Amino acid sequence: MSLPLISLMIVIPLIGAIIAFISKTRNQARYAAIIASIIPLLITVKMYFQLDPSKMWVVESYDWIPLAGIKYAVGVDGISMPLILLANIVIPLTILFAFGETKQTSKFYGLLLLEQVGVLGVFSSLDFFMFYIFWEVTLIPMYFLISIWGGPRKNYAAIKFFIYTHVASLVMLLGIFSLYFTALAKTGVPSFDIAYLIGMYSGFDPAIKDIIFFALLFGFLVKMPAVPFHTWLPDAHVEAPTAGSVVLAALLLKMGGYGLFRVMLPMLPNTTNTSMIITVVAIIAVVSIVYGAFLALAQKDLKKMVAYSSISHMGYVTLGFVSLVPLSVTGAMYQQFSHGLITCILFMSCGIIQHGAHTRIINDLGGLVKKMPKLTFLMLGGFLASLGLPGMSGFIAEFTILAGAVTTLYVYVLIAVFGGIAVTAAYHLWAIQRAMFGVFNEKLGDVHDMARYEMISMAILLLLVIYFGIKPDLVWDVMHAGANIVLAGANI
Amino acid sequence: MKFQLHSGCVEQSWPWFAILNFGILIDPLAAVMLCMVSFVSFLIHVYSVGYMSHDHAKPRYFAETALFTTAMLGVVLSDNILQFFIFWELVGLCSYLLIGFWYRKPTAAAAAKKAFLVTRVGDVLFLAGIIILYLNIRDFQIPDEAYLLQFQTMFAAIGHIPPGQLTIITLLFFGGAIGKSGQFPLHIWLPDAMEGPTTVSALIHAATMVTAGVYLVARTFPIFLASPDALTVVAYIGGFTAIFAATMGLVMNDIKRVLAYSTVSQLGYMMLALGTGIVIGAEVVGVSMFHLISHAFFKALLFLCAGSVIHGLGLQDLRQMGGAFSKMKITAITMLIASLALTGIPPTAGFFSKDAIIEGTYAYGVHTGSMVLYALGIIAALLTSIYTYRLWFMAFTGKPRTNYHAHESPPSMTVPLIILAILALVFGLVAHGAFGGFLEHTYSEHLIEDAAAIGGHHLATEHAHPPTILFYMPIIVGVLGFVISWLIYSKRVINMSSIVSKRNPIYNLLLNRYYQQKIYIEFIAITIVYRVLAMLGEFIDRRIIDGIIDGISYVIITIGEFIRRIQTGVVQHYAAFVVAGVVVLIILLQGGIL
Repeated sequence: MSLPLISLMIVIPLIGAIIAFISKTRNQARYAAIIASIIPLLITVKMYFQLDPSKMWVVESYDWIPLAGIKYAVGVDGISMPLILLANIVIPLTILFAFGETKQTSKFYGLLLLEQVGVLGVFSSLDFFMFYIFWEVTLIPMYFLISIWGGPRKNYAAIKFFIYTHVASLVMLLGIFSLYFTALAKTGVPSFDIAYLIGMYSGFDPAIKDIIFFALLFGFLVKMPAVPFHTWLPDAHVEAPTAGSVVLAALLLKMGGYGLFRVMLPMLPNTTNTSMIITVVAIIAVVSIVYGAFLALAQKDLKKMVAYSSISHMGYVTLGFVSLVPLSVTGAMYQQFSHGLITCILFMSCGIIQHGAHTRIINDLGGLVKKMPKLTFLMLGGFLASLGLPGMSGFIAEFTILAGAVTTLYVYVLIAVFGGIAVTAAYHLWAIQRAMFGVFNEKLGDVHDMARYEMISMAILLLLVIYFGIKPDLVWDVMHAGANIVLAGANI
Repeated sequence: MKFQLHSGCVEQSWPWFAILNFGILIDPLAAVMLCMVSFVSFLIHVYSVGYMSHDHAKPRYFAETALFTTAMLGVVLSDNILQFFIFWELVGLCSYLLIGFWYRKPTAAAAAKKAFLVTRVGDVLFLAGIIILYLNIRDFQIPDEAYLLQFQTMFAAIGHIPPGQLTIITLLFFGGAIGKSGQFPLHIWLPDAMEGPTTVSALIHAATMVTAGVYLVARTFPIFLASPDALTVVAYIGGFTAIFAATMGLVMNDIKRVLAYSTVSQLGYMMLALGTGIVIGAEVVGVSMFHLISHAFFKALLFLCAGSVIHGLGLQDLRQMGGAFSKMKITAITMLIASLALTGIPPTAGFFSKDAIIEGTYAYGVHTGSMVLYALGIIAALLTSIYTYRLWFMAFTGKPRTNYHAHESPPSMTVPLIILAILALVFGLVAHGAFGGFLEHTYSEHLIEDAAAIGGHHLATEHAHPPTILFYMPIIVGVLGFVISWLIYSKRVINMSSIVSKRNPIYNLLLNRYYQQKIYIEFIAITIVYRVLAMLGEFIDRRIIDGIIDGISYVIITIGEFIRRIQTGVVQHYAAFVVAGVVVLIILLQGGIL
């Protein structure tokens, strides 16, 4: 009998969160947090090398509420494994980065660990009911992270974040229930099993098919977020504390993308009007890429710029998904992983600048390299990765998405290339030139460079970004196997 | 057809991920570049020891230049187009870092950004070209031991790509080359790149990186040959750039900017040479590469001499110099040799290499009936000669125009100068016979013939050679330029004050670099992209998209506020509502409605 690894991986941060919540001192809380968040990483590494990514590796499945067909079922495969790895890399590094937090530390670290629980649950659930519960679990700690540790307009941002994404979740829940009840009516067997329900979808009545598809799609696109459902994101990021922003951008957005691959991709070829849906989603993707890039260029607040860059980069995920080409779908999964790492560096940089210079308005900064040479080095690395420099992970993802998608979405790809790439480079380099280079703005006063734990955290991330830009196969092969399975299941 | 490697060529490939591979290809073309890049890079590193001796950021400097050399060698050795692109971007990164080496200087930080972004425009085209290439060859049956984006696969698949697509691909590739090699209209970053240390200008912005665009066209020459329209574009862009940049070189006062425009102009010659391949065939790869190599020597030398002048005089503006000959003999003489090479005076390397290009344009003219390219080449050569000797005379002859304390540079700087000067003198004599023959083995005759046949043209086997007077034309204009400059800037028998005046519109046009900076930066970048598009997007986002969301929430809150009034908290009110409800229900039931 082997250990229930996945359940352990989910439960340990939960225990850590409880310990953190009840801990009396700051040290107790933060060391509990770092330990509890690293153990899942070790478990992930162990699982990673045992994994056969070409099939679902079901670790545990128990009946939970048999009457309604609800199970506790967790498993991993090529689609979820890299994201679980990502979550278990990002959370410990975020906690390490936020080692200097002084305000209500026990709650702070506890909430970060709860995020880990929620995200891991979403990525490993095989049952829609559980999936939805974990999906909602991620919302609540983030709401508190923003509303307690946030900036001046934190209440507006927190409530906007919560209600907007919660409404989207409810629409998604309606989609899930429609799936469940339609399947129940057809067979008489209650089940929330994700794979089973998706398999049933192709036999549904055309009238209900569209409703289900669009309800689920809406839930996922809001989470990504895709234009025009994105306006909650910049507000949330601007007010959120750095650690909250990092988790939000690196992990919570990825849940939307994960939903696309896990749920929408097998359904897409079986909808009533697939080509129309592909057109619509491709337009959303390309608009997100180009519009997000232009908006990033327009921003005066560095962090808001980074928030818009996330929207632009997540547009590539949507584009890769909707192309239905194995190369692109894998590339889109890779983009999720890569963006998860890169965006951490960007948001951490914003946090350090805010902390040191007490402003993030780009034009009020200037010449920070004089006082913050270490940060400038790491930040430049992150910015270059974010603009898609070859040798870093973002390039691999973007190139494969574009090269694959050009076979089915020729025009959209060309618009993305010509409309997005140069502007993406422009806003990154223009921002870093104004903020970090040139003459130091003496009005900023005494600015300190980053703390050691912050530097270690960012340096590890940058090394990972470079590693996965040079040697992608460790993650790529796993994703590719996962993508092939889901595409084969979709009969494409 | 199958791409045959000649004996002696090395190709090794390893799978990378997905369909892609990483590989090394050393054929004659790569070998020539390999020697030049590593040799020039070595000399410049030696020179840098002296030149950068007073700089506190030496570790960063040498780390970045070493990284640059790695990336440049990566470009040269790539065996597939994607890997080529990856290293191509990395050299761009190093260029960005080194132009902005003195990043506390706002102009340097701005120039670095500008260089990256302008070349990025070219890179986007290049990337689009690769993606469209992939689209067209993805179903191509790849031979064993080969990968999809390898050059050999690309060449083998030429016949399978529709001609229209082939033209698009090659033009997009050339778009990348335009950005990197500073061809019109994307040349504007290169003169600004002079904000970096002079050694960087010599290494990256004269000898190596900026030639990567020429190398790209040479590397993918068979597909260019198969799309004659694209090759014609290459020829005319190259020819136009050669003369266009030279005109601006005439009026620049910064010693490095004169050389920067000269580099742009000479890169134009290299492109021009490749463009004439439509008539001459693969031989032009040799012609172009010959000029590339000899240019690398004499232009690196010119920049290093300029660096020595800047180092010795502490000045960069030509108008403040003068009479430095006696103080800096080695620098002055080596720079004169480099100038002779640049202006194509025999027997320097530049004579042989430039002559071959102009001869090619003549043959092209005879074949196509249009002597435009030949005329561009000759006029540009005259302008080159004028601005080159203008620089030399202004720096080294006459009397000092300001008080400066000149000293000759240390041996770590002068020795590389002497070595490069010897090369600039003898390289042409030694290599002009063997060079083309060596490079001919880059592509098999078979491949070239097939590619030309796909392009629908027959390569002339016998080229027209210019008549004697035209044959000596490059030398004549070279000497003529020298005389003109000598009369103006050394003897001062011609008074320039009426021409060099703010009131002269042509002078103003040249001094303001045809107002391209204004058009690109102020009009396109700032006005259209930033003020109009980005700000319009910001408005739509805040006011419309988010406005709708806020509007919905406002409506819901208002309704809530309204309904809240019912919840008065007074028990009697609730009781009244309950009673009223019951009454209504009874009425409805009695009426049989429910």
